[in-house]
Amino acid sequence: MDKSEIQERVIKVVCQVLNTDKDMVEPSSNFVFDLGAESTQSVQLVAAFEEEFGIEMEGEAALSVQTVGEAADFVAKYVK
Amino acid sequence: MRLILFDVPCAKRSNFYPLSLSRPIWELRCGISTLGEKLIAKATDVACFVPGYMADSYRAKTNIKVNDAGTLADQDLLLVDTRIKASSFNVENSGPSEVGLTEDGECLYARITKDDLAKLKKDSIEVLLNSAKEKLPTTRCDLATWNYTWELVLENPHQITKDFAALGRNGIEGEVEEPKAIRGSAKDVYVAPGVLVHPMVVIDAANGPVYIDEGAEIHPFTRIEGPCYIGKKSILLGAKCREGNSIGPVCRIGGEVEESIIQGHSNKYHDGFLGHAYVGEWVNLGALTTNSDLKNDYSNVSVTLDGRRPIDTGSTKVGSLIGDHTKTSIGVLFNTGSYVGAMALIMATGKPLPKFIPSFAWFLEGVTTKGFGKSKLYGTAKIAMSRRKLQWTEAEEAMWDAIFELTSPARDEAIRRGRRLMLKK
Repeated sequence: MDKSEIQERVIKVVCQVLNTDKDMVEPSSNFVFDLGAESTQSVQLVAAFEEEFGIEMEGEAALSVQTVGEAADFVAKYVK
Repeated sequence: MRLILFDVPCAKRSNFYPLSLSRPIWELRCGISTLGEKLIAKATDVACFVPGYMADSYRAKTNIKVNDAGTLADQDLLLVDTRIKASSFNVENSGPSEVGLTEDGECLYARITKDDLAKLKKDSIEVLLNSAKEKLPTTRCDLATWNYTWELVLENPHQITKDFAALGRNGIEGEVEEPKAIRGSAKDVYVAPGVLVHPMVVIDAANGPVYIDEGAEIHPFTRIEGPCYIGKKSILLGAKCREGNSIGPVCRIGGEVEESIIQGHSNKYHDGFLGHAYVGEWVNLGALTTNSDLKNDYSNVSVTLDGRRPIDTGSTKVGSLIGDHTKTSIGVLFNTGSYVGAMALIMATGKPLPKFIPSFAWFLEGVTTKGFGKSKLYGTAKIAMSRRKLQWTEAEEAMWDAIFELTSPARDEAIRRGRRLMLKK
């Protein structure tokens, strides 16, 4: 799977979990400060990425990711 | 004669989960004392065997020798499966060797003379029991046993009454401030030294005894209905403490509690109903956390211990089983007969939660997640224990690591189901 497809699917999941429009989400968007994610929603995001890509991520490292772009990079490490 | 208590890994151990995940079965409470305290009441030389993963942790909490193979030699032994009800245990300490087996061939006790002991293999408690079954006379044993945690809860009011009579204590040795209100016979009330009962507290012993143990504090407008046991250094904060409660040491209890057992060091400060429940240690129930203990159609309550197969309890009244270190947010609603694992963190959804929540679950937005992981839960446990001047030790952490692995199949399944639900929402 190439990087752009991963990013597109990451953004789709972000919109779904945080209930926000695609236009509001950019690679540089910070989950907390730009998209208003609560701490429980960051847990939901990790779970939703795992379901979307069929992967198991290292929990604590995944939760330290700050932006949408970083999330796509992080997911890419697990996707074959 | 040396009494050996044993609680070794077997299928029936899980009938006492989540409470027995982190302690031997004999440490569970029923009445005023634990199952073990009742069994060892008349013994002087006692040792014990617990599942290996909890041995180091348990060793730090008890005065008796734990998993010491050396205790299986040089003495006449009486080995007792601690699921046996103490009230039914009528096996003589001395006599010829004898192994008591259930109809399924499970060993409930083994009396072994020193001479016969020399002929048996003793590498471990399991090896010794198997060797005894093979080489010593066996007898069919119909001793009554505890089979599930909810049996302890259902028996609790009766057991408090029996334990109170056996202890033979009554009277006011602590301080009961005026105006006081004690209903029933004074001989059915015991207020231990160091207890402080504030004004405007009702102690109602009309239907059963009330035992308030050393250092407990009862705040105004609390009503304690017997039979009831309040443990050492526990505080009741205007609680509606209805009949049949055993509250262990160092608890903080408010709201309405009925026919429940709380192991110790747990908090239920605020309003909210807890009924026919068994709550472990270091649990914190947020304000308005409530459990159902009766179904609207009055049918028997079922409990799912493994996340898959519901078990009919045979009772119309069963509340929640809540494992150690579990915390709930404000407003959590537990369904009738809920299994709430240990080390779980639970947030309210506004409606009754699923009846099975696995250990180490972060239950958020109505689904089980991995949350922030076990290290964050350990951090919280460490803080909770330090607030009561107790330490989270390496042995404790190693035990919980083992429990994390032991409970992972049910949790992983719930997490997978949670992910699917999350994306469907």
